Amino acid sequence: MLNIFRWWWGIGLAFILLVIIRVFLPLPFSNEIIIFSIYVMGCSFLLGRVGFISFGQPAYLATGAYATAFYLFYFGTNPYIGILIGIAAGIVMSLLVGPLFVRLRSDYFALVNLALAVIIFYMMQKVLAPITQGDNGLWFLTNMKSTPILDITKPKEFYIFAFLVGLAVWALYKYLDDTLYGACCLASKINEDKVDFLGYSNFKIRLLAFVIANTTTALAGSMYAIYLGFVSPEMTSAHRAADPVVVTILGGVGTLYGPLVGSVAYTGMKDLISNLIGNWELFIGFLLVFIMLAGEKGIWGSLEPRLKKVFSGKRA
Amino acid sequence: MNPNDLLTVRNLNVSYGESKVLFDIAMDVRPGSVVACVGRNGAGKSTLLKSIAGFIKNVSGTVTCDGVSLLGVRAFDIAKMGIKYIPQDKKVFSDLTVRENLELGSYATKDYNWDQVTDYFPKLKQLMDRKAGFLSGGERQMLMVGRAILGRPKILLIDEPTEGLAPSIVAHLKDVFKEMSKKTALVIVEQNLPLVCAIAEKIYAIKEGRIITELVGERIVANICEGYL
Amino acid sequence: MIDTQLLISGVIFGLSIGSIFFLMAIGLSLCFGLMRIISLDQLLYYSVGAYITYTISVYSGNMWLGALGGLIVAGILSFAVERFIFLRIYERDIAFTMITSFGILIGGVGVIKAIWGLVPRPVPMPIMTQMSIMGTEIPVYRLIVVVIAALVYAGIWLFLNRTITGKAIRAGIENVEHVEGLGINVYRLFTITFIIAGTLSGLSGGLHAPLIMVDPQMGLEVMPFIFMVVIIGGLGSIKGTLISALIVGQVVSIGSLIYAPLAQMAPFAIMLLILLVKPTGLYGSKLLKR
Repeated sequence: MLNIFRWWWGIGLAFILLVIIRVFLPLPFSNEIIIFSIYVMGCSFLLGRVGFISFGQPAYLATGAYATAFYLFYFGTNPYIGILIGIAAGIVMSLLVGPLFVRLRSDYFALVNLALAVIIFYMMQKVLAPITQGDNGLWFLTNMKSTPILDITKPKEFYIFAFLVGLAVWALYKYLDDTLYGACCLASKINEDKVDFLGYSNFKIRLLAFVIANTTTALAGSMYAIYLGFVSPEMTSAHRAADPVVVTILGGVGTLYGPLVGSVAYTGMKDLISNLIGNWELFIGFLLVFIMLAGEKGIWGSLEPRLKKVFSGKRA
Repeated sequence: MNPNDLLTVRNLNVSYGESKVLFDIAMDVRPGSVVACVGRNGAGKSTLLKSIAGFIKNVSGTVTCDGVSLLGVRAFDIAKMGIKYIPQDKKVFSDLTVRENLELGSYATKDYNWDQVTDYFPKLKQLMDRKAGFLSGGERQMLMVGRAILGRPKILLIDEPTEGLAPSIVAHLKDVFKEMSKKTALVIVEQNLPLVCAIAEKIYAIKEGRIITELVGERIVANICEGYL
Repeated sequence: MIDTQLLISGVIFGLSIGSIFFLMAIGLSLCFGLMRIISLDQLLYYSVGAYITYTISVYSGNMWLGALGGLIVAGILSFAVERFIFLRIYERDIAFTMITSFGILIGGVGVIKAIWGLVPRPVPMPIMTQMSIMGTEIPVYRLIVVVIAALVYAGIWLFLNRTITGKAIRAGIENVEHVEGLGINVYRLFTITFIIAGTLSGLSGGLHAPLIMVDPQMGLEVMPFIFMVVIIGGLGSIKGTLISALIVGQVVSIGSLIYAPLAQMAPFAIMLLILLVKPTGLYGSKLLKR
């Protein structure tokens, strides 16, 4: 019982804080934070655990978002099914490109992913314009029917849903960290030859990580779609490609709570700074350089050892 | 410290991250002498050479050459001072010709002692315009040594020069090293004991990161050395 | 089928676009080969080159003067960035330098927005004359761009093969540690290479400016194509970069003649195909981080 409690208490605490944020800050902000941190989770996992830096996360975000949007715009009305379709699309997409991409060296991997994001942008904006309505985007807010029990078409109840999904995603990743598979991922990041010698397949480890991470990203995409009620190609443009990487670094690479802390900080700063000065990129770019030069640990990465000290001191 | 010594090493400690590799190494090299380090694989011989040459960051102690401290000096500055390190991997710049490979050896000092190189290794003279990637193992080793001596170095640090080479080339290298040591001090890490005993003035036996013994004079015989391997 | 006139102008168009891609990609490729960094900030020098070209050509009325100014400013800027940022982080791993350079890129785009604003600016074509090749009217400016790129390739080839510094750079692409062991200050080689890369990126921005509109996002717009060029050619190979720049240029231009969206999609498909066969690109070596 105590073990279960120990396992959950970190996640629990993080999400209690989220509830507090919800109480004090406006609803759109809280919703944004949760979806954004789910989005970043995949990128953080790839970078921190498998050693793959992906500048192409918007590609998978758009995959999930557009799959959901197509369903809700053309076929159905149930947002839950829309989300399931988004997840399925994420799995299909990562299984399609994954076997090719994970064979690459990490530098090529980064470049190819970014190229994929741009291609998907062009597809959504121009090639598939008859279906996606190009830059105008797909609007389907009114197509969605209210659902029983938890009506996620309403922002308030959507928050509860997002909260639960976020909790589940976090538990999944924490569980992954604890398993042998998590150890294999880390091993394949540090020394891929030795992983081979131990009899594990680097390819399989990486492919699974790739699928898990990008399906998470696709899930975030379809949640965005439901929450906003529309999708447009803008979400996958190259200018947005930096966001998940920036937040991953901001929060601290590979740490479990990094994406959450990073999202809070990033979304908060974005709101604050874009109100004060219009030039958001300038600030975020130099902040990124500064964090990298200062030691790349990020906010959570530098806080964590200190917090641990405080808490372990209390217990003893 | 003997003022006549060219290279002096005292209390040298080296670690790779958490693990310590060398403990309190002390070593003296006179001008114009050959000093050899013997020991098993993994004893830390190569690490010793690399740390003198400035390729390893985590080093403490003193290393001086002609009274100038080498600790914390960047590797290329050490090489510029005339302390040339010849690694054991026998990797030459395969895309460049032999002449270009040699030229780069004196890039920093602009001191080209071509006669010396062709005198020691006449074979390289015929190969001058060939791409170094097409050379045999022995020719590569000659090229690496030639590259280092082109700029008249004071000390050569040579890591396993004869490993995997044909006996005739080893014999040739032995003569060259002997000849060379009249002008240049040599520090050689080597497993080939007959060669070491034939040219070395002093032998340090290294075991598990420590110098366990120092052999000089008549004690330099292959069967005594073998006891320390 | 497409008629010959369209085809000829398409080929020339592709050559000029390929030349600009080449000038741009060579910097990324050289930086990777020698320093093992992916310098995304080259795209910033490209934008800076284009903007300086715009400003100078507005005030002096001469676009060539502008392009010259653009490449000089880009070179100086790259020197400063190398000195203050990259010199500290060369030894870190590749993801690290890539993120840092991305930070420089978007920060720099922010600065450009602050100085020149968001509105796209036109740069006048310096030579409006058309030349007739086999009955097809071709803008002379595009041919000049191709000639400049060819001269740059020849110059880089001479530099790398005939000067001692160039030879040291080639040696460093093979094995930096050995170059260092020979007493060569590798950080000076790094600086030289980085400045060459930044200058060429600036030049390509300046030359590209009259063909497109100069706007703050232009670096990000050209980015996927540069990536494809570098990936297809193989990181670190100059010959590979030239060949793949020409391929991508032709694919973009001929592809758009057949079906407009192909301009973006076709190079991507080719890139995937090549990676399927050879994961390191056409001429890429198996080099890893030293």
